[in-house]
Amino acid sequence: MQNNDELKLALLIASLAMLMMAFFVIAFVMYYQKKRFEEEKRINDIEKNYNRLLLDTALNSEETERRRIAQDLHDDIGTMLSLTKLSLNQLSKLVANSGDEKEESIMKKSQSLVEETILHVRRITRDLVPTTLERFGLMEAIEEFIHKLEEDNNLVIAFQSNTEEFPRQGQKLELTLYRIMQELVNNAIKHASCTKIDIVLEIDEEMIGLRVTDNGVGFDPEKIKESNLAGLGLLGIESRLAIVNGTVQYEQPAKGGSSAIARIPVNPASGNKPEPLHPFRRERVNI
Amino acid sequence: MLESYFSYIIRQPVISAPVFLNLLPILLIWRKRAYNEKLLLILFVYLILKLCVDLVMFDLASHRQNNVIYYNVSIPVRYVLTSWMYYYEFDNKSHRRWLLFSWPLFVGFSMWDIIHTNSSIGDVHDQNVVLYSATIESLLMLFWIMLYFYDTIRALKIPNLLTYPFFWICSGLLLFYSSFLFIAPVMHYAARWDQWMDIGTLDYIPYVFESVSLILFSIGIAQYRDNSYAK
Ligand SMILES: Nc1ncnc2c1ncn2[C@@H]1O[C@H](COP(=O)(O)OP(=O)(O)O)[C@@H](O)[C@H]1O
Ligand SMILES: [Mg+2]
Repeated sequence: MQNNDELKLALLIASLAMLMMAFFVIAFVMYYQKKRFEEEKRINDIEKNYNRLLLDTALNSEETERRRIAQDLHDDIGTMLSLTKLSLNQLSKLVANSGDEKEESIMKKSQSLVEETILHVRRITRDLVPTTLERFGLMEAIEEFIHKLEEDNNLVIAFQSNTEEFPRQGQKLELTLYRIMQELVNNAIKHASCTKIDIVLEIDEEMIGLRVTDNGVGFDPEKIKESNLAGLGLLGIESRLAIVNGTVQYEQPAKGGSSAIARIPVNPASGNKPEPLHPFRRERVNI
Repeated sequence: MLESYFSYIIRQPVISAPVFLNLLPILLIWRKRAYNEKLLLILFVYLILKLCVDLVMFDLASHRQNNVIYYNVSIPVRYVLTSWMYYYEFDNKSHRRWLLFSWPLFVGFSMWDIIHTNSSIGDVHDQNVVLYSATIESLLMLFWIMLYFYDTIRALKIPNLLTYPFFWICSGLLLFYSSFLFIAPVMHYAARWDQWMDIGTLDYIPYVFESVSLILFSIGIAQYRDNSYAK
C-alpha cells in the first residue's frame, strides 16, 4: 500500500511537471513570436530609412553634378566664348577694312555661329540648374518652363494654382515638385501625342498637390510597371517622392488622356535664404 | 433512467463535465459555420464522434457497466482525427508524409494492443484499458504539436497568434496530452473492473484538462472569422 502511495505521488509530480512545461511552451511560443515580429519590423524600418538615405544622397549628388557642369560651362566655356566673340569683333573690323567680300562673309558666318553657341550654352546651363526656381519659387519656375515649351511646340499648356502667392517651400521639396512636373510634362509631349496639357498646383495646410493632365492616348500605369516598360521617368518620380513622404497616383479620365497627381506634405522653407544644394549634407538617421 | 444520470453527475462531476462541455465548441462551429474550413471540419467531426462516445460511456457508467471497449476503440480514431488537423497546418511536405505514415502504424499498433490486453475480446464485461496505445498516442501528438510550434516560430507567418484559431486548438491539445502522458499507462491498472487500483485524485487530472482543452477549442473557434482564416 505504501508503494502505491509513492507511485501516486510520483505520477502526480510528473504530471504537474508536464503541465508546467506545456504552459511554459505555450507562453514561450507566444512571447517569441511577438518578439520576432517586432524585430522584423524594426529591421524593415532600418532598411527603409537606409534606402531612403541612399536615394536622397544619389539625387543630391545628381543635382550637385548638374550644378557643377553648369558652373563649368558658364565660367569656362562661356567666358572663352565671350572672349572669342570679342576677338572676332576686332577681326571683323580688320576684315571690313581690307574689303574682301568672301572673307567678310566667312567672318559674318563665324560671328553668328559663336553667338548661337553662346545662346546654346546659356540655354543648357539654365536647363541644368533651375535658377528661377531657387530665386522666385515654384510658380515662376513652372511658368517659365511652360513658356519655353510653348515657344518650341505648338501646344497649349495651361497652368493654374489655387493661390496667388505660393508660399516658398523647402528647397528639396520645391526641386522635387519641379522635376516631377518636368518629367510628367515631358512624358506627355513624348508619349501622349496630345494637344493640351493642364498643370494644376494646389496647396492647403497639410498637402501640396500637383496634377498634370494631358488629352493624349493615355496609358495604364499598372501594365507599364508590370511589363518593364517603365523607364527611368516614372520610377524616378516614385523614388523622388519616397524621400519627401509623397505619393503619386495615375488616373485615366473618362474623356481620354491621362492624369497624374503627386501629393507631398508641406514643408515651408526654414529661413528666408534658400539653403545651398549640397551633396553630402549630413543627415541623422535613427538606427 | 434520468435519475441514474443525475446521481452519476453528482457522484462524478469532474468526469461528467467534459461530456457536456463537448457541446460548446460543437455549437460554436455550427453557429459560425466554421465547418467550411477543412481543419475545423475535422475538429467538428472529431468532437461529434467524441460526444457520441462520451455519451455512450456516460450512459454505461451511470448504469455501472463496463465502457472500456469504447474507450479503447476511440483512441486510434482520436489520434487520426486530431493529427489530421496538423496535416493541413504543416507546410513542410516531409512532415506531412511522416504524419500520414504514422496513421496505419498507430492504428495497427492499437489494434494489437487491444487484442493483447484483452485475451477474450467478446467478453465485454472484462475489458481492460489498453496498455501502451494511449501513452504512444500522447507522445506522438506531443511531438506533432511541438513540431508545429517550432515551424510557427520559424516561419513567422501568423501575425497575431491570439486571433489564430489553430493556435488555441493546439494549446488545448498540448495541455490535454501533457496531463495525460503519465496517467495513461496507469489507467490500464486503475480502470480495471475488478481488482482496480485506486489512484485517487490522479484519475481526475486528464478529465480536468480535457475540460480545459475544450474551453480552449471554443476560444479558438470564437476567433474564427469567415475568409480571414487564411492559411
Ligand atoms: N502621358 C503619357 N501618355 C501616354 N503614355 C505615357 C505617358 N507617360 C508615360 N507613358 C508611358 O509610360 C512609359 C514609361 O514612361 P517613363 O517612365 O517616363 O519612361 P520614358 O519617358 O523614359 O520612356 C512610356 O514609355 C510611355 O509608354
Ligand atoms: Mg519619361
